[in-house]
Amino acid sequence: MDQLIIAVEECAYETEPVCAPADVAELFVYTETLWNTPITRTIFLMGLAALIVMVLLYLAYRQPRLVPTKFQAMVDSVVQFVREDVSIGIIGPEGVKYFPYLLSIFLFILVGNLFEITPLVNFPITSRMAIPAFLAIVTWFIFVIIGFAKNGFGYLADVVWPRAVPVVLRPLVGVIEFFSIFFIRPFSLAVRLFANMVAGHVMLSILLVTGFVFVTNIGEIPLKGSFGFLWFALGIGIFVFEILVAVLQAYIFTLLSAVYIQTSVHPEH
Amino acid sequence: MELLAVLLPLAQEEAEEGGNGGLEILLPPTNELIAGIIAFAVVFFFVWRWAVPAINRALEQRQAAIAGQIEEAEKAKAEAESLRSDYRSQLDQARAEANRIIEEARETAEQVRADIVAKAEEEANQIREKAREEAAAEKSRALAEARSQVGDISVDLAEKIVGESLDAEAHQSLIDRYLADLERL
Repeated sequence: MDQLIIAVEECAYETEPVCAPADVAELFVYTETLWNTPITRTIFLMGLAALIVMVLLYLAYRQPRLVPTKFQAMVDSVVQFVREDVSIGIIGPEGVKYFPYLLSIFLFILVGNLFEITPLVNFPITSRMAIPAFLAIVTWFIFVIIGFAKNGFGYLADVVWPRAVPVVLRPLVGVIEFFSIFFIRPFSLAVRLFANMVAGHVMLSILLVTGFVFVTNIGEIPLKGSFGFLWFALGIGIFVFEILVAVLQAYIFTLLSAVYIQTSVHPEH
Repeated sequence: MELLAVLLPLAQEEAEEGGNGGLEILLPPTNELIAGIIAFAVVFFFVWRWAVPAINRALEQRQAAIAGQIEEAEKAKAEAESLRSDYRSQLDQARAEANRIIEEARETAEQVRADIVAKAEEEANQIREKAREEAAAEKSRALAEARSQVGDISVDLAEKIVGESLDAEAHQSLIDRYLADLERL
């Protein structure tokens, strides 16, 4: 963030309407470590996200009451949503088996996403490729292994020779399906989450930092400086919008994982 | 996808400049990947071994409580139902009892009334009968007395008129004729 402020302050106020840093990648490359250990900020925040998820669950289910407290009811509604609507709703009765995984990815991604708009943190750990890529690969392994475990070789045969499609189209659809399921799915799953969080983070960073720098320098550049209020207001608007994006992307990742598992459990659908 | 369009030229630029940024964004650094795997593994292990059993326990507890409450409510309802039918049958009994008592009272009253009327009638009849008997007796007594007195008076009167005694037979027939006349009056 300091690098960014320096970059913005170095730019030519008179000629550029929006001040962008010369290298966007700078926003996402963290090499500084904390407390002289190999722990970078991203690694620290990953641990923090894991801790928050576990503490939330622990506090909610440590001593569950029959008449739940407000906090318990809140956590419980999220948990039951993942259980009833995603696990059982998408996969079917046997979706309960995948509920621990789906709940873990939903809560972990949700907390990781919400770091984007958490004051003083303002950095979504899902805008680094590590977590989206790893979780997408885990989902890929799960649905591929389940597909073969439940249907044997027939799983692959159904993919490359889809009997629901007219014979002439089968080779074409088969090839498309094969690439779509085994290569595009994990890639799109990871990139969708990653790209959304990167985009939100870039927008927020540029708008809020630009607004901040412009407004604080309003004495030197009155006209340009007053634009700072606009960037700032826009940044606040997108800030609210990013709450929605954070929740939505966590939901979409979990939902698609469930859908992929479902197609392996019941490949005929 | 839009982002890729932005990032890829950027990466090319970087590559041309000899930098190693750009695509680095799409490939996770090893340290972060390891940290992410460990963090997620810890979360998953916690959710799998502790949270999900706790969630299931809470769910079962709530289900049991709700089922128990429903059962209790049903029991209470059945109890109330039986109480209600008890009360209703008691009420019916009481009502029937009351009706019976009223009916009995009415019958008794009717009986008493009939008795009284019958008795009064009987008494009235007795009084009437007695009066009639008395009147009849009085009449016959008066008649007999009158007959003897009229006979005497007639004889006296006839002796006085005729001045001589008539023979006994003529005497008697005269009296009888006279009496017959008298009775006709």
